Amino acid sequence: MKPINIPVILGTTRRGRLSAHVARFVTNELSKRSGVLTELIDIAEMPLPIDGAGDEIKDPAFSQKMENADGIVIVAPEYNHSFPGLLKHVLDTCLEEYIHKAAGIVGVASGPFGGTRVVQSLLPALREMGLMTTFTDLNFSKVGKVFDEEGKLKDEEAWARRAANFLDELIWMSTVLRYGRENVSQE
Amino acid sequence: MKCPDCDVEMTRHAKKVIYPRSEDEASLVDEALGGVLLERHTCPGCGKGASQVQEPK
Repeated sequence: MKPINIPVILGTTRRGRLSAHVARFVTNELSKRSGVLTELIDIAEMPLPIDGAGDEIKDPAFSQKMENADGIVIVAPEYNHSFPGLLKHVLDTCLEEYIHKAAGIVGVASGPFGGTRVVQSLLPALREMGLMTTFTDLNFSKVGKVFDEEGKLKDEEAWARRAANFLDELIWMSTVLRYGRENVSQE
Repeated sequence: MKCPDCDVEMTRHAKKVIYPRSEDEASLVDEALGGVLLERHTCPGCGKGASQVQEPK
């Protein structure tokens, strides 16, 4: 069976973003899985034109990565109880590329609620894009205390166990949905 | 719809009414549905995806 392809999208461009540590950790955990391909997609490294919409401003490289993906992880910090505007702007440039693919959300927050509100606010948008979301999330509360100054997790073993539950389901969904896309027709 | 790489019949797994995204698509609006009907297909051989907008009935 060909590998399941699950890129990780780092969904913020802000300087000093601690979500970058989270995204690297999740990408690393995914890369340990046999039969899984992954890569980190940093939206800060993408062109972000604001003078058009959809296909007009689509980044061909990002579009191809979404086309090749079987699922995606979105690492999203919570800004004012919602998602970063530039993350939504990037996601909105594609549509067909996402249809019937799995999506898992990693919420990141400086406060105690682990980005639960960014997860909740993203769900209806992802559904409208045709993505199928997991029902297990990964939540980083008080992210300023989770990593050391070098960006390493202070308790990597515990976080690896939490991430495992999230990734197990995401990989399963990505596998099942790929089978469905390729083999189960709508009449 | 045939896969351009494998020449096998692709699997139609999604139909979605969307707003037309171009003048060409605007001419294909199905008034009964309120938009254009986008179909998504995936090749069972190579996994390649492809889309097409259906002609209104």
